[in-house]
Amino acid sequence: MQSRERISKTFTNRVALGVIWLAAIGTVGALGTILLYVIVNGIGQITPAFIFTYPKGVNMEGGIWPTIQATLYVTGLAMLITTPVAVLAAVYLAEYAVQGRLVRIIRFAADSLASVPSIVMGLFGLAAFVEGIGLGFSVLAAALALSFLLLPIIVRTTEEAIRAVPKYIRWGSYGLGASKWQTVSKIVLPSALPRITTGVILAAGRAAGETAVVIYTMGTMIYAPVSPLDPGRTMPVHLMLMSQEGINLPAAYGTALMLVLLVLGFNLAARWIGRRNRRMQG
Amino acid sequence: MHPRWLPVKSRLLAVTLVAAALLSSAVVAGCGRSASGATDQLTVTGSTTVLPIAEVAAEDFMTANPGKSVLVAGVGSSAGIESVSSGTSDIGTSSRDLKPEEAGLGLVDTKIALDAIAVIVNPSNPVDSLTTSQVADIFEGKIRNWKEVGGLDQEIGLVNRDEASGTREAFTKIVLGGGDFDPTAAVLPGTGQVRSVVAQSPTAIGYISLGFVESKFTKERVKALVIDGIAPDENTVAAGTYPISRVLHFFTKGEPTGLTKEYIDFVLSSKIQDEVVRDAGFLPISAGVK
Amino acid sequence: MDTGSDLTGRDVAPDMCADDGEAMRAPEPPRKSTGLTKITRATYLKEAALQNLFLLCACVAVAGVALIFIFVGLKGWPIFAKIGLLEFLGGATWYPTKEHFGILPLIINSLLAMSGALLLGAPLAVGTAVFLSEVASPKARSIVRPAVELLAGIPSVVYGFFGLVLLRPIIAGLFGGLGFGLLTVWLILAVMIVPTIATLTEDALRSVPEGIREASYSMGATKWQTIWRVLLPAAKIGIIDAVILGMGRAIGETMAVVMVAGNARVIPDGILKPFLTLTTVIVMDMPYASGDHRTALFGVAIVLFIISMLFVAAIRVISRFGKGMS
Repeated sequence: MQSRERISKTFTNRVALGVIWLAAIGTVGALGTILLYVIVNGIGQITPAFIFTYPKGVNMEGGIWPTIQATLYVTGLAMLITTPVAVLAAVYLAEYAVQGRLVRIIRFAADSLASVPSIVMGLFGLAAFVEGIGLGFSVLAAALALSFLLLPIIVRTTEEAIRAVPKYIRWGSYGLGASKWQTVSKIVLPSALPRITTGVILAAGRAAGETAVVIYTMGTMIYAPVSPLDPGRTMPVHLMLMSQEGINLPAAYGTALMLVLLVLGFNLAARWIGRRNRRMQG
Repeated sequence: MHPRWLPVKSRLLAVTLVAAALLSSAVVAGCGRSASGATDQLTVTGSTTVLPIAEVAAEDFMTANPGKSVLVAGVGSSAGIESVSSGTSDIGTSSRDLKPEEAGLGLVDTKIALDAIAVIVNPSNPVDSLTTSQVADIFEGKIRNWKEVGGLDQEIGLVNRDEASGTREAFTKIVLGGGDFDPTAAVLPGTGQVRSVVAQSPTAIGYISLGFVESKFTKERVKALVIDGIAPDENTVAAGTYPISRVLHFFTKGEPTGLTKEYIDFVLSSKIQDEVVRDAGFLPISAGVK
Repeated sequence: MDTGSDLTGRDVAPDMCADDGEAMRAPEPPRKSTGLTKITRATYLKEAALQNLFLLCACVAVAGVALIFIFVGLKGWPIFAKIGLLEFLGGATWYPTKEHFGILPLIINSLLAMSGALLLGAPLAVGTAVFLSEVASPKARSIVRPAVELLAGIPSVVYGFFGLVLLRPIIAGLFGGLGFGLLTVWLILAVMIVPTIATLTEDALRSVPEGIREASYSMGATKWQTIWRVLLPAAKIGIIDAVILGMGRAIGETMAVVMVAGNARVIPDGILKPFLTLTTVIVMDMPYASGDHRTALFGVAIVLFIISMLFVAAIRVISRFGKGMS
């Protein structure tokens, strides 16, 4: 009886671990399939002409430059608006906050914002910024709507980064007579800066890929925005419209690949900063 | 001030101030923003079907005539007619004819293109031709199996367009006579998608503008059905015998003059008609006798 | 559950919200230890002002939620006033052209889409998380973890596009029909929620103290037995939180769904039949909706917002319940 039990235990173990391996392989496989398919079909499109010229004609032949510019502009502006607010909010939550009702409400609100469906955020942007304040379809309206979406993300990663700074470093600072803000601004934040930057870069990647928020706040017009009040069409919006129309699929593949490359770029940059930070910390 | 003051705190504060300044200036500017008419500016609004033609023509027009500006928007044929009759825009584009109640608005019609709607099926589908009433029954969901119209014993894969589509609007009016589509049909938001799905699925049936039946972007093929015995091609559409077709309009309040006339003439020029109109899947108006 | 760091400053994963990290908060500056520190009035005012500034920033989140309620709610309110909440939520027909604004079929469809995605995606995600936390060699981890992070970063349009051009034709080829429908949506959504669930599950598993594993092995348990009978139950709360978050993501997803769902405004009578959800109805109808129709869409948006907040609340309740138990 004992030997039978032992065999079954090892057997189940092997089978179960095999299943777990399958799960991991499945996940990697899914990623690989998507990336490969987009790369293989889109790579033929990626020429300097595609990147730097304007779309021409009814079916958007030619390039996608204005969409690239629009994407970078709105992402940059959104990060500019969100990052200071989010970092300071995280500082509050990590350093100053006292356990209590207000903090619970803040956290609940932050989590709610994080889980808002992006299309709801898009309608909010339409109602509040495009129509309410009267900005019209503009980079600014989109950036404002995006910033609400990104706020909880950056707050979370910044808070994590601040908490990861070891206690003894702060003790040393206080022991030297520094005030709280001096400690935070000169010791804690700089120490947490690489992690904060990683979080910000990843959030930027998220912003760059957003469609539902941008389409109701920035519009769908092909235009390379110059002022924050200009409208524009970003790459994800362009991809969506191209797939909807479904006529010029090669250009759609090209846009998809550019978008994936952009997001990959953000991801790699964040990872590189993280690795450099860890190496420096020894 | 300490020279080592620079790092985090003042950087953050500076960024916050910049953002606040941007925001407030934008709000001020936004509140004061209104469409002040430049003297040499044309507003064109209306049908989303006509939009591609109007937009590209506007771009080309502005390139050829610097200093003149044409603003194009697509909101729907009805909205376009309303805005041109109220004076909000100079040209109202439409993919439908005027309704009886709109006849007295003093609008002048310039026809700019022809649109025929082809009913498409997969090339492997043995069915080649249908009557208008069969097509209506299929799209209303009354006929559900291909064998009922002489095809194989397979469930019909019904493909519809989204409600914003001018093509759907025209199809409803011309074929369904105002009836309702089968609510279980797949609703796709674009011509290319309809074409692609029909090209790939043997049981599918859908409708697209005739000009898109052939495509230079893909090797996939679809088959356009013969309707009521008339095959859809340029001649039958131009002759007016192909049953499912319509005219695309530019409406103006009174006869077009000045910049309006220049733009309309430009759209009717052979370059735009042969390139842009065809690219958009329509037929040049010169091909027609309507 | 103390997730404190140690003196080496190792990475800390915060809980999903209920604990405000008192253990980690920095100590206040020493009061009158040596008598050298004199806090001037100016410094005190500055510190207080700064603290309030930070508090203001933190309250932006609250302001955001309030603003969403106000703006979207105000725009959507007229439809509730007009046809009543019950008729809106419980009405069985969504046919705006004929003035029918019942979103019950949309709610059901959203739930159907979410459930299938969860059934497919949660096991895949938990399995991947277990792999990363317990089974993987450092080399395998260095491939799988970046893969999960990359999956998280792919925009939803790209997922939808992929579903449209590759998955849909495959499903159509395998099963007949057009390839739009629940099955395709489930597959795409399942892959999309894997990173959400896997990352949090891995965090939950990692925060189970190492000693517990050692104790289990020392009693002769195999790795799988340890995982199944010890670790997963210990990380139960975190895993449930992760799954609920995945549910929220699945039900709120728009772009990926609209390209493969088929968008028919009925409850589908099969997993290969087209259907419309709470999210896809907005993106399909918004371009042309006006009047009551547009108001109804804002109403749908508010319903979606409330649903997502309910998920967040559920996570809090469960976390607190779990804390009470452990």
